[in-house]
Amino acid sequence: MTLRDILLQIAQVVTVLLFAPLIQGIILQFEERIQRAQGPGILQPYRDLWKLFHKQLVVPKSASWLFWVAPVVAFTCMLTVPLLIPVLTNYPLPLSDMADILGGGLILTFGSFMILLAGLDSGSAYGGIGSSRAVMLGILAEPALILVFVGITLLAKSMLPFVVNHLLVRQPAVYWGPAHLFLVFAFFILLLVETDRLPVHSSTHIEVYMIEEARILEYSGPLLALLKWTAMMKQFILYTIFCNVLTLPWGLSIQGTALGAAGAAVALLLKMVLVALIVVCVETAQSRLRFYRYQEPLAASFLLAILAIVANQLR
Amino acid sequence: MLITHLNPLAASLFSLLAIVSLLLSFVMLGSRWLRDYLLAFMLESWLIGLLSAAVGYFDHYRELYLIALLTVIFRGMLLPYLILRIIRRLDVDRELHVVLAPSSSLVVGALLVIFAFMVASRLGAQLGLTGTVAVLALTVMLSMKLIGFLMLAVRHEAISQILGLLVLENGIFLGSQILVPGMPLLIELVILFDLLVVVVSFSVLVRYLLAHVGSTSSRELKRLVG
Repeated sequence: MTLRDILLQIAQVVTVLLFAPLIQGIILQFEERIQRAQGPGILQPYRDLWKLFHKQLVVPKSASWLFWVAPVVAFTCMLTVPLLIPVLTNYPLPLSDMADILGGGLILTFGSFMILLAGLDSGSAYGGIGSSRAVMLGILAEPALILVFVGITLLAKSMLPFVVNHLLVRQPAVYWGPAHLFLVFAFFILLLVETDRLPVHSSTHIEVYMIEEARILEYSGPLLALLKWTAMMKQFILYTIFCNVLTLPWGLSIQGTALGAAGAAVALLLKMVLVALIVVCVETAQSRLRFYRYQEPLAASFLLAILAIVANQLR
Repeated sequence: MLITHLNPLAASLFSLLAIVSLLLSFVMLGSRWLRDYLLAFMLESWLIGLLSAAVGYFDHYRELYLIALLTVIFRGMLLPYLILRIIRRLDVDRELHVVLAPSSSLVVGALLVIFAFMVASRLGAQLGLTGTVAVLALTVMLSMKLIGFLMLAVRHEAISQILGLLVLENGIFLGSQILVPGMPLLIELVILFDLLVVVVSFSVLVRYLLAHVGSTSSRELKRLVG
């Protein structure tokens, strides 16, 4: 364990922390532009966070300690996951062996579980609705997610994201094989669902069908800023997994020099912009589904994951 | 058998075509509109035609080109055209009474695929074919048959039932193309004409249903008449 490895590991976390609002801003700005509007600029999420951190904190009377703890725990979860996945380097760093893909998924889910409890905690009607809807979506999405993990495991014979990355870089036959392509599609649908994108639900504020926003409706000021930042970081982390592990495994730092790490960060941003463009197209073309049809995209994702597992039989 | 020593490119091409046709049968299972159904079936037949041409090219079976051509003409153009005519005449656009919602039937179909997967891998392990394209073809064949049965079971419209039968048959044909590519030409021709007979007799049945029952849904056919 050298000093450089530790610095790189810190750099991974800092990358996720700093660039998460940028990706959110880019997606929102692109969407506005496609709809022929001006858009607030790609730096708007930073300004929002700055504003919220300087606002007063209002806490409901009915809130317990959970109300205070949940945002901090969720934020910490999002700071933990970048230690485990290839953000900048394509080799494991000192703490990367703490957990495999399933472990990372567990930490991510724990973060949203805490927010869910906080939504129920204050006893407001909207928080309850939001939490129950979020649990419903979770129940629908979880089997597909587990099957995608099983598919990845069968593909790479390992549950470590680094092994998957190396395999896809080294063997183009596996990369273009049906098993991998179906996994990519299955994961893409999950990505849309987990990051609040359209076929399932948009992230618009105050309206009847809100899910993500309803859970955090009671929050204000710095705690709200933390929660918003958590959501953006979750999106960034999922995009990182999608790009660096599954779809575009190239362009990571191999030796771990400072220049290489900086280049990897730039490459990561470029890859994410590419994914964001596709997401924006999907969001513009798709209309929102009714609540009782949410299971349809997730059933499709489940199915694609199963087909990927079947296609694995070939090797 | 040639399937055990294929070159990797051919194997991945075969598996891609097989899996995409399985995906298309899921599209049929998950859609509500009869016309989407028919389009998916048409595309599936074209893919199977492509598959038999590819098998013919890589395994050097001349007569498979002819079979590919016949498949595309019969299954990819003639049968969809005949069914489209029936749909136009009926003005039934969609399945009216669904027994199983599309997403649930997708999940049931996925479970059937898992079942087929297990059966095929057991068979493949016993025959010493693990990891070859044969096991995959067996999986796709079994699961397309099961999906065809599922479609026959959960849909009531006469049109959906014809298409369920055709999917079932497509599955068998797809499997046979990869597993026993040298099947005599005559048998293939007989199968194709059989399909034509199936569609024609179904269209007679549809006419009968329209004239005597007033609807093409098999839900109305409950009463036994001696």
